[in-house]
Amino acid sequence: MSPKQGKALFLCCPLGTSLQDEGRTLGAHYGIPRSGAMDLYSYQWANHLLQNSNEAAALEMAQPGLKIKFEEPCIVSLAGATAFVTVNQTPILNASIISIASGDILEIGAFRGGARLYLCIEGGFQDEKYLGSRSDFKSITTSSKRSAGETLYYLPIQNKAVLWVKPKWSTNWFESKEIQAYPGPDWRLLSTGQQRLLLKQLFHLSKFSNRMGIQLEELVANELEDLPTNPVFPGTVQLTPGGKIIVLMRDAGVTGGYPRILQLTEESQSRLAQKKAGDSITFHLLEPKFES
Amino acid sequence: MKPSYQIISPTLGELVWHESPSDELLSMQLSYLTHIQSNYLSTLVEVRQGFTRLSLVWKNSSSQLEFIQLVETLNLVPESLPKKVWQVPVCYSSEYGQDLESFAAHKNLSPSEVIQLHTKPCYRIHFLGFLPGFFYLNGLSPTLHLPRKRVPSPYVPSGSVAIGGSQTGIYPSESPGGWHIIGKSPLTFFDSKKTPPVWAKPGEQIQFMSISSSQLENWQDEDSKNFLK
Repeated sequence: MSPKQGKALFLCCPLGTSLQDEGRTLGAHYGIPRSGAMDLYSYQWANHLLQNSNEAAALEMAQPGLKIKFEEPCIVSLAGATAFVTVNQTPILNASIISIASGDILEIGAFRGGARLYLCIEGGFQDEKYLGSRSDFKSITTSSKRSAGETLYYLPIQNKAVLWVKPKWSTNWFESKEIQAYPGPDWRLLSTGQQRLLLKQLFHLSKFSNRMGIQLEELVANELEDLPTNPVFPGTVQLTPGGKIIVLMRDAGVTGGYPRILQLTEESQSRLAQKKAGDSITFHLLEPKFES
Repeated sequence: MKPSYQIISPTLGELVWHESPSDELLSMQLSYLTHIQSNYLSTLVEVRQGFTRLSLVWKNSSSQLEFIQLVETLNLVPESLPKKVWQVPVCYSSEYGQDLESFAAHKNLSPSEVIQLHTKPCYRIHFLGFLPGFFYLNGLSPTLHLPRKRVPSPYVPSGSVAIGGSQTGIYPSESPGGWHIIGKSPLTFFDSKKTPPVWAKPGEQIQFMSISSSQLENWQDEDSKNFLK
């Protein structure tokens, strides 16, 4: 690493903290998942605030408790979940863009709304790319998650002008219950009654949720047969023989054998990524429309 | 074996075949895959392969529309499958295949009959999925079909060779898993430090070869090199 690079040291690092960008699309034929930010919308917004390129790597947090020390000055931005943020123990109100001095310690406290918080840094965190992406994933990057004592590197400040921006950011978009989805490849295998139930019922997120998938509480009884294993994507909704609904998220394997009943829009994947166990959702069916 | 095209979202769709997985179907899929990769690479985000589908993620919806109009007119010839057969050493024992004995008992077979039936065929690699480096293989003897475990094991060691339903496979890394573990291979099936990270590709074949516990325990990198060439 060049000596001019800044160093960020993790003093405390909660479980579920990982480095993410838009993910990798070059590895599916090796069985390598897409990965990338669970809430791409917030990740992209936080990068946009710093005028970063689209693929600048950011930290994704699913729990409070991060304590990180920056050894060189830098500019960081936050988006996604709203959290209690301090720098050197001084609370930061409306934390969106923060100017950091040498030796400053940034801490992330309790989340007030949402489930995933993104910490971007001007120029992006520097780490090796694998197949075009810096996203952490077990067995392909050096770490599958970040932990205390580790270091991340960043570039010197390039553009102080971003500090003049007074961004307006609302989290209303992820508070809506409505999850929009296209009919999945196997939607037609469901009976009209099952289809109606899926679109009418209020579903709740279970505690079995991670970067691979989000399992819902309510069951949908079915007698669908096992299908040949075929491709799945982030946002594919699977229905198991036991009636469980699993919404596949960014780290899901590239293929699956359960019926693929729905495919979430990108925006709804981001929205779902901001929901917590116990939150409720409804599915709203879209027809694939084409721009002329 | 002409596929139909199913639109899923404005930028996602699949080529659909209704046949059961077979060498003939794979030859056709690979032919479509080659055609797509040589003609549409600049407008595609990625292509994913399954047993009976090829899924296409498009950069924009107009590219998908253009493809739909062209795909009807395509008349592709099946691609011939590679001749390569990889020998994969496996130690079949209850020590390394925790479910070998219960699996054999379920099937009214002796463990050695299971081993014989498992090492006999050449399995065709159709695609990779589930985990990085996990081969989806076709060709398991129907005598060895057994539904997956009701409750998946929380920990399956890497290199485990297993049977689930009508399929057999090798866990390239440790993972939870619902398949019956009948043995362990000393080979490495996924290594991100190598290019490519996986040594075999779709269309090639795998044949399992029984080795003893002591061969497994004394396995050297040099031994792997003799197999992976």
